[in-house]
Amino acid sequence: MSRAYRITVKESDTRHLKAGDEIGTCLEILEILPPEDMATLLKNELRNRGFAEQDDGTMTRRDGDVTVIVDPCSGEVTVKAEAQETVSQEARRDATGFNDVGPNENNLRDRVRDQLKHDLDKKFEQEQTRLQTKATEELEKHLQEIQPEISQIVNQVTRDALKQKAQQMGTVTEITEDAESGSLTIRVEV
Amino acid sequence: MTRTAPPSTPSPGPDGPRQVSRFEYNLLRLLRFFLGHHPSDQGIQLARAAITRPACLSPAAVDLAKDTLAKGCVLFLTRAGGWRNDHYLRGRSPADGRVWDRSALDERTLVFSAPVMEFLLWATSEKIHESKILWDAPPQDLTPADELFFWLAFDACRADPDLSGVLRRLATFRNNALCWLASPGDIAGADNTPPPDFRSTFSGTRAVMLECLQNHLAARWLRSERAKGQIGDWKRMNQLGRAEYATLRAFLEAADRANRTDLARFVLKTNATLFQTDLTPVFWTGGLQGSGPPRLADRLETQRAALAVPRQMELLADWQDRARSIGYFDEDYQASQMWKQDWEAVGGDLVAARARAAVEMVEPLRTPARQPESDGGPGV
Repeated sequence: MSRAYRITVKESDTRHLKAGDEIGTCLEILEILPPEDMATLLKNELRNRGFAEQDDGTMTRRDGDVTVIVDPCSGEVTVKAEAQETVSQEARRDATGFNDVGPNENNLRDRVRDQLKHDLDKKFEQEQTRLQTKATEELEKHLQEIQPEISQIVNQVTRDALKQKAQQMGTVTEITEDAESGSLTIRVEV
Repeated sequence: MTRTAPPSTPSPGPDGPRQVSRFEYNLLRLLRFFLGHHPSDQGIQLARAAITRPACLSPAAVDLAKDTLAKGCVLFLTRAGGWRNDHYLRGRSPADGRVWDRSALDERTLVFSAPVMEFLLWATSEKIHESKILWDAPPQDLTPADELFFWLAFDACRADPDLSGVLRRLATFRNNALCWLASPGDIAGADNTPPPDFRSTFSGTRAVMLECLQNHLAARWLRSERAKGQIGDWKRMNQLGRAEYATLRAFLEAADRANRTDLARFVLKTNATLFQTDLTPVFWTGGLQGSGPPRLADRLETQRAALAVPRQMELLADWQDRARSIGYFDEDYQASQMWKQDWEAVGGDLVAARARAAVEMVEPLRTPARQPESDGGPGV
């Protein structure tokens, strides 16, 4: 006589998931002074704004999960967002077998286990997508915040460069700056 | 081999049409299809069909093939732009006139070699898209005229993705500079094959052919740019843009090294026609469907790739700056004067500024340093 039995298999797994996103672009720094002088001015301005110099000469600042890297020599800016999480997932499946027909209990258990592994992989993939979305959203949000700051940095570097250039040309007699309109007037006696 | 100049003596034959076998008839029709003288749908059917190959071709068929090849290619180049009274560099000085006025006979003689006939025999006898015996020829053995023919053949087959997919994998086509310049997206495929070395394109017959093709290429690139707004697939846009950028950049750098900036006129003309008014990146990316890849980096890469043609204006503007600095007694004075003429004729400065503005709109952190009034920056 055929007798039915039910197997319940449970699998769990813990994985450390990482997701990241980054964009890179180049700052538009006008060549008012020689490139090395412009790089020094940029470095100083970045330092004032909390960037730290790294061994490779780049300036880096970490804002939460987002890292901003500026190469003062080339003007390249990279903004990176990273997200990581340790995720545990559990999956469970039931299967019914018969003692006289179909696969035996061990085979059935193996088959269910394979299916469970597939289920777990899918769940981790979903988690990975969620983490990726989180990193990208974080990056997009931060880009909006950092855009004005980058503009300010470039403008400040341009101002400083113009002042230095004026000093090189002769005696600066007057400097007028209007913060509202952004105009900068330098009178030089040559 | 067949030569277009001096014209071959017509072989004596009967007064009526020449008799050819069924295979030869198909081969000649296929040849005419490749040269653009036969309806595309019928030509594609022939390329997809197979017929038993004979041991050899009859003299009449060989004569007809030679005649069609010679006249068809010359006619194509003449119509494409060879007839125009134009000026191009010869050495370091400009030469004026139509292509036959400004080029020596040996530079404009089209010499076809055996691979052309072998390809025609293979294409006629095999179903190109299903053929298990893949024909190919070493690219270094091909003459400039062969390359022209193979480009035309590839171009004719582009309408059928099965055919172009097979041809793209053959070294004859994959290393053909004209295939890359005319349709980089189709020849590169999804595997991002790098473009070939363009160095040889700037001398001898190849350079003369490029002179003839300037307007033709400009029209093709313009059509391709206008069609980008209809591309909905992000992956396809990325692949197309990357192939275009790699091709144009490699071509322009090679042109600069060879002192043949006049052969890059089609890039300038394409941009000039595009940027008659201000354009935003939507012109290129407006058709993309959905939000695209999940990563911002991938989305940005696709958007940058879409603007492959405007991005070349930066390099052309550098050429213009350099040309401006060349003095009367410098070696390249005449060449630089010619470039400046071309640049000014299309309003290059304005075109470059518009292209730059469009490119910068894609960049997320690009600071508008040259528009200081809008952001409170210093006036420079």
